[in-house]
Amino acid sequence: MLYFTLASKAYARNLQYRGAHMVHNLASAMFGFMYACIWIGLGRDHPLGEYGTQGMVGYIGFTQAALWITSFISNGLGIPQAVRTGQISLDLMRPVHLFSHMAARECGQIAYQLLYKSIPIYLLYFFVFSLQTPQHGITYLHTAAGLSGAAYLSICLNYLIGVSALWTTESSWLYWGNHALINLLAGFFIPLEWLPGPLESLAWMSPYPYLLYVPTTVYLGYGNAFWLWGTLFWCALLTVLCLLATKVVRRKVEVQGG
Amino acid sequence: MKLKSWLTLYRLLIRTSIRSRMQYKFNFLLAAVLAALIQISEFLMVAIVLHKFGAIQGWSIYEVGYLFAVMTLSKTLYRTFADEVHHLEKYLVSGDFDQLLTRPMPVLLALMPQNFRIMLGEVLQGGFILCWSLGGMMKGGQVSWTAVPSTLFIIGTGAVILFSIGLATATIGFWTTRIGELQTFTEDAARTAAQYPLSIYPKWMSSLLLIVIPVGFVNYIPSLYILRGELGAWVLAASAGVAIVCLAASLRFWRFGITKYQSTGS
Repeated sequence: MLYFTLASKAYARNLQYRGAHMVHNLASAMFGFMYACIWIGLGRDHPLGEYGTQGMVGYIGFTQAALWITSFISNGLGIPQAVRTGQISLDLMRPVHLFSHMAARECGQIAYQLLYKSIPIYLLYFFVFSLQTPQHGITYLHTAAGLSGAAYLSICLNYLIGVSALWTTESSWLYWGNHALINLLAGFFIPLEWLPGPLESLAWMSPYPYLLYVPTTVYLGYGNAFWLWGTLFWCALLTVLCLLATKVVRRKVEVQGG
Repeated sequence: MKLKSWLTLYRLLIRTSIRSRMQYKFNFLLAAVLAALIQISEFLMVAIVLHKFGAIQGWSIYEVGYLFAVMTLSKTLYRTFADEVHHLEKYLVSGDFDQLLTRPMPVLLALMPQNFRIMLGEVLQGGFILCWSLGGMMKGGQVSWTAVPSTLFIIGTGAVILFSIGLATATIGFWTTRIGELQTFTEDAARTAAQYPLSIYPKWMSSLLLIVIPVGFVNYIPSLYILRGELGAWVLAASAGVAIVCLAASLRFWRFGITKYQSTGS
């Protein structure tokens, strides 16, 4: 119940800025539109593998919408900010585990972004590019599972980035570094099978493909639902890492502000 | 005061800004490494596409590398001197802008040296890609050494164009306070779009990138002449003309916008 309240408060706080976020959606949609244009341009001269031009446009449309629930979440779950203001000491004193507290709050944020960012952006692409929807009901189920797993993975990654703020004042660089890796290894713009061999192997050794590439290809029907076990594996591994990190953090609280 | 004393003051403020940054050497290095990583991943995205498909609409690897490098270096030049114009929102939201207004000098001159950024990662990366692509084209006999001064020239005019776009966008902040969303559109999206030859976009979009947000004049239009000998040498003069017009217009707009400023924050 407590976790639900945390999540719903985070959701409600965002509702205040619905208007501004809708304007932002147009700017975000522009990015996806530009990427789609690049692939359409490339598709005129080259066959685009098993995707084809329409498939690649669908790929970009889905990744650009999914970004808002699996990648663009709060920087370090807001922990760096809490370290800066000193709020972290209060957060650690609460009779709730820091990880589950932060994760619950972020769930509300993600639910908001799903409703007010991902879905409007996808609908826009859906009509502008006349995208296809999956034919089997089970695909929706797999996609939902893949996306939920990806959102959770993203929470874990950002938690780890966030707690690093207790050691360095520049934890935001980790956040941007994480973004750079998402661009490259998560299939943000280029499907992973087109990466040069070593980079592709590197990607599959990391949790990044499960953030975007796996849910997207599963949704579009190019992927394999079997990959979702990978999502589960990384969710479990990162949860353990987050719990371990919290243990260390509890012994190393350094408050910067006050 | 005369122009000369303004310049002396400007240099002094920049020196102060650098000195304050250097107090935190570890953080400075960390940020430099990060910037290089992001830059490399940005270029890899373009490079991988080229590696996979060879050419984009008749533009070779070297040519697209050139477009990318010119854009990177122009942006670096703009952000080195005027990063705070891009971050004006911070001043508007917190109310720190009031402080700048009280200084006995033009506001822009007070704002720009607040944070003089040393963008070593970007300079190295952009410079490397530029040398590589120009070198490749010289070896293939596509361009001669005369391309070098023209390239340096368009990097300069490009920086002025990007600065003008940034300044005009920031000025809108005097009415709206928040400009992050608009910047995504006019600065980030437009710049990313111009890393590819504009001919791959639909007509309305390439016109938008030439007329409304003239990023096309930073790299695409000049390189039509420099790399491919299309159009004519007047293109370089035209790019400079566009830069001057943009600068004049955005400065005028800035001066008008500043009269509409209302303080916020506490």
